[in-house]
This record gives sequence, structure tokens and C-alpha cells, in this order.
Amino acid sequence: MDVMSAAPVIEQLSRETGISTAAALFDKIPPHPVDPVLSPLFRRGGLPRGELVTVTGELSLSCGLATIAAATREQKWCAGIGLGEPSVSSIADLGVDLDHFVNLATPGEDWLRVASILIESFDIILVDPGFAPSASERARLLAKIRERRMSLISLRPLSGGTEQIEITDTRWTGAEHGHGRLQSCLVRARSQTGTHRFLLPGPSGTPASVPAGTLEVVADGGGASIAPTTDLDTDPATDTDDDPRWSTITQLRQVISHVG
Amino acid sequence: MSDESGRTLVLTVPDWPAVAAAVEHDIAPGRPVAVLHAGKVIAADAPARAAGITAGNNKRAVGYRCPEAHIAVWDEEADNRHFSAGVGALDNLVARFTLLSPGTLAIPLDSLRHGYADEAEAVETLVSALVDDTGWEFFPGIADTVFAAVLAAGQARRVESGQTVDFLSAQPITTLEYAGAEATALIEVFLQLGLRTLGDLARLATKDVNARFGAFGRHLHDLASGRAGAPLADHVRGEQLDVELDLDAPTARSDTLGFLARQLGADLLAKVRRQGLVCTQITIELDAAGGQSSSRTWRIEDMQENAIADRLRWQAEGWLAGVGRGSPPGQNPRTAQPDTQELDIVDEPAPDAEDFSDDGIIALRLIAAELTTPIGATRSLFDENTGQITHTLERLQGLFGPDAVLVPGIQGGWDPAETNLWTPWQQAAVPERSPAAPWPGALHAPRPTTVEHSAVDVLAADGSPVEARPSGLGAAPATIRFPTGQTETITDYSGSWPIESGWWDPNRAVYRTRLQVVTDAGRALLLSKEHGQWYLTGRYR
Repeated sequence: MDVMSAAPVIEQLSRETGISTAAALFDKIPPHPVDPVLSPLFRRGGLPRGELVTVTGELSLSCGLATIAAATREQKWCAGIGLGEPSVSSIADLGVDLDHFVNLATPGEDWLRVASILIESFDIILVDPGFAPSASERARLLAKIRERRMSLISLRPLSGGTEQIEITDTRWTGAEHGHGRLQSCLVRARSQTGTHRFLLPGPSGTPASVPAGTLEVVADGGGASIAPTTDLDTDPATDTDDDPRWSTITQLRQVISHVG
Repeated sequence: MSDESGRTLVLTVPDWPAVAAAVEHDIAPGRPVAVLHAGKVIAADAPARAAGITAGNNKRAVGYRCPEAHIAVWDEEADNRHFSAGVGALDNLVARFTLLSPGTLAIPLDSLRHGYADEAEAVETLVSALVDDTGWEFFPGIADTVFAAVLAAGQARRVESGQTVDFLSAQPITTLEYAGAEATALIEVFLQLGLRTLGDLARLATKDVNARFGAFGRHLHDLASGRAGAPLADHVRGEQLDVELDLDAPTARSDTLGFLARQLGADLLAKVRRQGLVCTQITIELDAAGGQSSSRTWRIEDMQENAIADRLRWQAEGWLAGVGRGSPPGQNPRTAQPDTQELDIVDEPAPDAEDFSDDGIIALRLIAAELTTPIGATRSLFDENTGQITHTLERLQGLFGPDAVLVPGIQGGWDPAETNLWTPWQQAAVPERSPAAPWPGALHAPRPTTVEHSAVDVLAADGSPVEARPSGLGAAPATIRFPTGQTETITDYSGSWPIESGWWDPNRAVYRTRLQVVTDAGRALLLSKEHGQWYLTGRYR
């Protein structure tokens, strides 16, 4: 790819995502910090600001709460919408600072309205959308998120997300057919950076990395022969081919690295 | 600021919560009454104290000392309502008075000088009028500052003009509790520093107190050294800041009034803020359809529209109940829940045949009675965008009702459903069970992330319901059937463990068995069996 072919890509980028300079593409605003166990899930090692993130699959709520925990401990405010009645003890177990978390018990059909009010002043919103927004509503929501530089985490698939984390497999351990209690859950999650395995929740309630020796539990998962934590069975570039914006960003990144 | 203008008469009813409880529950005078809050006695009337009941006793201790005592639970609303209604006799006697807190009111002596020959005569007239009218006992106190006058009223004494500093310096440091709950921690520090009286504190240099204890410490130092609070500059008082609202149809409904008062309060506070001032006292005037009117001045430490709305509601309820005709809304303590439907009604007030009554309130007026410079009220540099957060959340509360915005808290209990303590934004959390108490059998981490409550069927491999016995499950659970009719196969399950508590009291007895299961869909669930029925109580999501 030569430098000339980058021109249409740049134009597309500035039109679609508001990115006008290479600096904005690479070191925009630093992402919100996340738990070290979860940070490999994110392309930039943390919860990106000004973007939509989707966390789907079984245990998505736990994963979403674990993701916001480190940010709330840094005095960032987080609101939950449409989560039902979360249990406070588990929120605290996952490491969320209770003084910076607010739960909205509003009707599911009002989630977009509530979110649009909260976007004005909250740093992170964790939402289980009651309905899928129309294309124009979604575009307005994304524009607002970008403008306010806040993070929106959706617990259901929502197109337009830049990071898509999908929990594909969960394995609870500890119950032992009537002789124990649930201790931890081994989770397999797919994101833009590949497939990862970790414990969510771990034995103490917080996310934990997989201890050595638990490899055989997921032997049928296909990745047992590779390293236990990051078995890259999917290439990030091919994985996100369905998102045109991400592929243009990747292209541009390649162009810039060639130039540099 | 001269000494004269700060001189204040404070009238206080000793043990006001106990007196209010006696009024609220129609208890015969002379019967001992103790008022309990959070399991401890906070006020007891004279007969109860004679029987040995003191503040801090628990319910059982009250029962031992005085079995015939009536034990009432503290009700802030009743405290305010009865006091606001009871002091009506003062309306005809003095031009201006302020309700400091339920049971205590302050009258600036300036306003009495024209009507009475000297302080003694004024006090006698006012107290006898109040006692004749209400039958409550009032303790008067006079001093040069409001704080000193409150302390003097506790001892029913008059501090001569100019003697206030001497009077204060002899008082114990614990009297600073008057400044609010946040003073408690600071009082402890003062005591550890060997400052036992207000005089000890007052002798410290203002600068040092400010440097070490911040703005609040300086405020306490001001109180202790008999300096009046923030002085009012003349131009500040020259402003008459008020807002008023005429209702199209009279209403006696407290929820409607509360809702209107919130909006009106927000308007007033915005007006005050535009002047670069803060408001510490507010006068609420209500006009009834029949031409009567009620006016009260309230002192609110944390001035917000919610606080104003509460005061207005209390004043209206007390007043309408006192007028005694029509349909007083006093028995209607339900909190206003302005859902979207009610919002519409408020926007276009249509005369509703139900609540149209001649005795309703037709106009509301709020007047900023005391304005000060916002030196202590400016937002701190260190709290990040809390003001904006507050604004956003209040807006959502306005749209969806106060119960739609919840902040988390933890209380005692075994299961997530019990330990959850979701409290509406800006309301004080009231835990029912102590988290510090031991809860044997409580669930360990990992705990379910959401709380559910639906009846489910747990079936063994042969299709029969699984029995739970103290020794364990009757059979291995094989399938779970949800209320929707959907079934999932159970692939793994934990040991079952029973909880038994409160067996000595039929109302509190708890017996349940809990079980964690994992289904073939990879889902982990918390189940419990109570009264022969399995319930889904938590979901690991």
C-alpha cells in the first residue's frame, strides 16, 4: 500500500468518525483504566472513551461491572440502565466503588432517553438496552458519546461498537455435584484482540487470571496447544472485517507504519 | 454588626420528639413516652426520665425500667408538622420568627422591642400564650447569638447582653453537636486535644483553627467564640428575592404541593444564585382559598429544592389539619411519585372533581429570608463534577419519580436480596439490618449479580420435585422449570445449606434451604426453598 492510496481512506475516516489527524487516531484521549486481567481484551489496554463497547454473552453483566471497577475507583461516575435489580454485594465484590455508581430503575422503553440525559455528565454508562435503536437514533447516540468523550457499554449487540467483547463459553467450578459451592468461573471471551481466558468471577469475586494447570478444562476449545491466556486463534484484522470503519483504521495504521 | 441585632430569644420544648409522639398517637398526658430511632432512645418525656429512661437505652432497657411506657418510633415528618401547627399562637404576637429545628424556634429581640417593655415581659407574654394554646412546656433562653441562645434555652436562662462569651466559654465542647452530624467527628478530635469547653476552643487563634480544621472547623470556632454567623451586608438585605405561584384550582393534596414547591424552590434558588448569594433561611407563605394565609420561616442548612418542598408540605399539612375543615391530607404520608402521568396533570392543571375543595391552597410564595455571601457554600475544587451529576440525577428524578434513581448500599442479611440497600438519590439510607452483625450461613463470593424472585420447579431425574431436608437434598436435581414453561437441564449443583434464624419469634422466623445450580446453557443460578416451594433468587449474569 503506498502513501497515495491513503487519501480516500483519510477522507472516509474524517467523514465517518471525526478523526482528522493521525495523532487523534493513535493517542487520542487515554482510555479509562481497567483491571489488569481484563486489559488484554481491549485494543488500547483500557476502556476507550468516546466509543461504544459491546459486552455480550453469558456473564456479560459481571464482565461489564468488572470493566468499570477501576474507573469508578478513580472517581469516575458510572450509571447502570436496565440492569434489573443488581445485587450490591456482587457489585462491591467486583471492585466497583459504590459511591460512584448509580442504578436507574426506569422503564426499558425509555433507555435511550435516560442515556441521552446521563451522557451529559457521566463518564461511563452500562446499559442493557430495552430495544434496538433505529439507525438515526444510533448515529445521534454515537455522535453524542464521541462529543462528550464518555464510554457506553452495551450488554446486547449494538452495531457501531468499536470494541466487541463476546463471552463464548463459561465453565463454573466448585459445585462438585452436591459436595461444594460455586467457586469461580472460567470464561472464554472473544474480542478485537483475539480470544482470552480468565476467571470471572474468581475465587474472591474479582476477575483473576487462569492459574497454571487448568488447561485441560478447555481442551475441547481448540486452543489448548497454545499459551493459556492469549491463544490468538483469530486474526484481529479478519475478525473485524464486517466493520468498515475499523478496517479503514487498520489500513491507515498500516500506511502510517510504512511511512514511518 | 452591633451586639443588638444578634440578640435572640429561643423557645424550645424539651424532649420534643417525645411530645410530638404523644400528640401523634393521642397519648394521655402523664404517661411515660420514649421515642426510639435505630433501636436507641433519642427522647423521653419527664415521667419516662423519672423512671430512669435515658437517651441511648435500647428497647429492652426501656421495658425493664418502665413497663407501662409507650414506645414510639421517631417520625421526622410528625415532629415538623405538629410543631409548625402548634406555634400558630405566635403569629399574632411577633412579627418574625424562625423554626430552627422541630421543637425549637428563634425570635430576634429587635422585633419585640416595640411591643414590650423589657425582655422579661416579652418572654412571659409569649411563653404564656404558647403554653395556653398548646399545653406544651417551653423553655426560654436569651443570648447574643442564636447558638448561645439555644444553649441558654436548654438551661432556661437569660444571658445578659455582653456576657455571652463568658457564658459560652463555660459550656462543654459536646454542645457543638448543634452544628450537625458532621461535627461529631471533630468534637472527638477536640476532646483528644484536651479542649473540654467551648472556651478552650475559642482561645485558639482563628487562623490556626482554619488551617488545621478547614472551613467547618472555623465555623465551630465562630460558634464557640460567640461570633454571629456570616454577617448580612445591607445591600444584600435590600434585595427582596421571592417567587410565587397562583394555582388555577385550590389543592390540598400534599403530593401536588410538594411537586409544585420543588419547581418553585428551584426557581427561587436559581434567582438567588444569579445574585451570587446563597439563601440560608426561607419564608414560606401559603394562601388558602378562603382568604386565610400561613407564613413560616424555616432555617435549612442544606438549602435545596427538595428540602424546601418538604418544609412546604409539612407546613401545609400542619396548617390544613389545624384549620380542621375539608379534607386534611395529614393521613396521607405517601411520598410524591410524579410519574409521567402526574406530570401531565401538573402542566395543565385541570380541575379535578376529586380533590377540588374550598379549603385547599390557592397560592404559594417563597421568600429568601436570609441571604449570605456564598463563601462557605461554593463548590469545592476537589469534588469532581458532583454538581453536574446532582443536576442530571435530579432531572431524571423529576421525569421518572424519585425512586427511579438509586444509589447502592449494603446492609446485613444472608442473601443478595436482603443485603441490597438501594436508596433514592439524596435520601438518607435506612438499613434495617446491621451489616456488622454476624450472619451465619451468608452467601460467600462469588455472589449472583442480579436479584430475582420467581417460583420455579426443581425436578429430579424421575420427574418428581426435589425435597430439601436439613441433612441434604432428597434427590439429585436434574431439571429446572421456569415460570415461562421453559426447562433447562442441570449439569452441576452445589451442596444445599439451610438457614435457620429467628425461631424464637414467629414473625421473624426464617427457614430456608439454598442451592446453586449450573444449567446446560452455562447459566449459574441461586435457588432457595422456602415453605415447600423453590424460588429463583439470584442469577449470575
